[in-house]
Amino acid sequence: MLSNFDFSVILTSLPYLFGQGMVFTVSLTAMAAAGGVVFGTLLAMARLSGIPGLWHVAKGYVELCRSLPLVLVIFWFYFLVPYIGAYLTGSSTPIQVGAFPSALITFIAFEAAYFAEIMRAGIQSIPKGQTAAAQALGMNYWQTMGNVVLPQAFRNMLPLLLTQTIVLFQDTSLVYVLSLTDFMGAASKVAQRDGRLVEMYIFAALVYFAVCFTASFLVRRLQRRVAIIR
Amino acid sequence: MNYNWNWGIFFDASPEGNGTYADMLLSGLMWTIVTALCAWVIAFCLGSVIGVLRTLPSKTANAIGTAYVELFRNIPLLVQMFLWYFVLPELLPQRLGDAVKQMPDAPFYTAVVCLGFFTASRVAEQVRAGIQALPRGQRMAGTAMGFTVAQTYRYVLLPNAYRIILPPLTSEFLNNLKNTSVALTIGLLELTARARSMQEFSFQVFEAFTAATILYVIINLCVVTAATFLEKAVAIPGQR
Amino acid sequence: MTSSPMPAPTVTTPAVDADHAPKDDGLQPGSLIAGAQKAAPGETMIAIDAISKWYGEFQVLTNCTTAVAKGEVVVVCGPSGSGKSTLIKCVNALEPFQKGQITVAGTKVLDKATNLPKLRSRVGMVFQHFELFPHLTITDNLTIAQRKVLKRGAEDARKRGLDLLARVGLSAHAHKYPGQLSGGQQQRVAIARALAMNPVVMLFDEPTSALDPEMVGEVLDVMVELAKEGMTMMVVTHEMGFARKVADRVIFMDRGEIVEDARKEDFFGSPRSERAQTFLSKILQH
Repeated sequence: MLSNFDFSVILTSLPYLFGQGMVFTVSLTAMAAAGGVVFGTLLAMARLSGIPGLWHVAKGYVELCRSLPLVLVIFWFYFLVPYIGAYLTGSSTPIQVGAFPSALITFIAFEAAYFAEIMRAGIQSIPKGQTAAAQALGMNYWQTMGNVVLPQAFRNMLPLLLTQTIVLFQDTSLVYVLSLTDFMGAASKVAQRDGRLVEMYIFAALVYFAVCFTASFLVRRLQRRVAIIR
Repeated sequence: MNYNWNWGIFFDASPEGNGTYADMLLSGLMWTIVTALCAWVIAFCLGSVIGVLRTLPSKTANAIGTAYVELFRNIPLLVQMFLWYFVLPELLPQRLGDAVKQMPDAPFYTAVVCLGFFTASRVAEQVRAGIQALPRGQRMAGTAMGFTVAQTYRYVLLPNAYRIILPPLTSEFLNNLKNTSVALTIGLLELTARARSMQEFSFQVFEAFTAATILYVIINLCVVTAATFLEKAVAIPGQR
Repeated sequence: MTSSPMPAPTVTTPAVDADHAPKDDGLQPGSLIAGAQKAAPGETMIAIDAISKWYGEFQVLTNCTTAVAKGEVVVVCGPSGSGKSTLIKCVNALEPFQKGQITVAGTKVLDKATNLPKLRSRVGMVFQHFELFPHLTITDNLTIAQRKVLKRGAEDARKRGLDLLARVGLSAHAHKYPGQLSGGQQQRVAIARALAMNPVVMLFDEPTSALDPEMVGEVLDVMVELAKEGMTMMVVTHEMGFARKVADRVIFMDRGEIVEDARKEDFFGSPRSERAQTFLSKILQH
């Protein structure tokens, strides 16, 4: 019951929770979001390219990722990445990869599918006239995309990309299944070590809530401003 | 690469002693489907109520709906799973808490309730969006006919809103289905968990995960196909 | 007051070949308001008493007062944004107002004790965009409120609905959905739907302004017929031809105020206010 709620266990573990756990969570989120947006944009462009083979592969990849649970994908990559490493380096034995790079690759690969769908909608929302105008000025495909289409698409989709990043922030907690020390992993390690599950899990929930609520509030404000300018 | 493929592994007996590895995966698939369906019942009903609350003129109703959605949307599912499974029984009066802990199939019931409440917040957002997408005049027309607020929702707004949001609801259903895998953290023996145990017992990592992947893709295709039929069945003649 | 309603002739069931050749028969002879509740002649059906309405700081209606007697047809006109649609929606409390009182057939609109759904069920309303329920067939559109609000039996409701549908000439379309009908046809169904409730008054909120020009006539025909049968009507419209033909009085609104409230002859003969004159000259140029 709440009468024996022990605040001290939270206080003493704060440096560990934030110094290690939250740093892991935030860096994983930031890097996976950046990588996911880049890889996702490429996937979206491939899917919209109309080049036979290329767009089929892009579509297949996106749909496959979207039909699998993240937990399964995390397991997949956890076992697959060492083999990919071995293949890339020509080594005959699987290469041991650190926990963080492994998780990062997983999240970039997985979230790219979701970012790709957002960017695809963004690119499609740019009027055909914009592409025509750019081409009339003599721009090639990459110049048109890089200077005209993508900047506008990115801008229009910014609120959605950020919302997806908040989802990603929450999703990173699932590295728990690999016993990594993200914020949730740190909380649960303390919880189990000290037998203080109630305190630690409630505290973790509050922290996640505070971060995500604030972030989504800011995104909504941004969305309103973008809507006005447009 | 030196990985020893062995696709025959599925027909070997699993060390659990009741059937082959294939049986093990299929029982996992069954738990995944049952959990997803039960959770969806909660999510759909509760989500509809919350979504409607957010479209009512009452400030209190709005605040309750918004609070629910914000609460369940801003905490990771894994954390919610732990709160229901580890924390809630401790906060209940001792005897009730003990009873909950000793319940058979506790991971299943916890997963159903947790996913139901979590997905409800997403369904609520769709229901709200669907109702708000309807022309304002529809609510007025219902009201002008003498319908009460409840009747206006029952006979005019909801039948149209559900039709509009059928595609996003399908994808919420699929998310809900995939999210059942998070319940492996509280010991639910669903598909991903079974693939993982098969990997641990047999060391045939990629066979196990490939099989699970294929099964997930198949249920996805089934759901999408069913949703397409449903959309056709409820389509209104003469509407775009 | 004009003719009293004739007893309704028996309904002829739609032709068997209706499915193959959907007909649009236009307005049919007979009464539209058979069985409508009647009030004593001269009785005030709608009394609008000094109402004012604000959207936040912005005042949309200022001290509007008027009345509509039993059997009277009142046309409300004015430039867009003048508050005429808002005024008519206050009559059945679709729009709340902050000051004043409206009384419909003896029932106060702004009164906690008033059962608003019950009041509204006796006030027929026709909207600019028809607002038929898109997921229901024409028959269900005509019967649903009869069954759920008036608690009529399914068979009674159906008979009444199809009777009115025949009267507006759309029997062949009973099984269709609103999306399969033209705008003019949808609006005629919407009028029939409102009439099916046996209203004591009918409110029309710009019933023809969302229609293609060639469909305006068929809807106005139904409204003219209704007026001739003695229905009490309050009509927001720009159709001055309709006003000349059947209105008893014309109300002119501008900037949330009732600027002019005159007998038809006086309004079209010599409007007193300059604003009404300007408005009329603009409208009648076409």
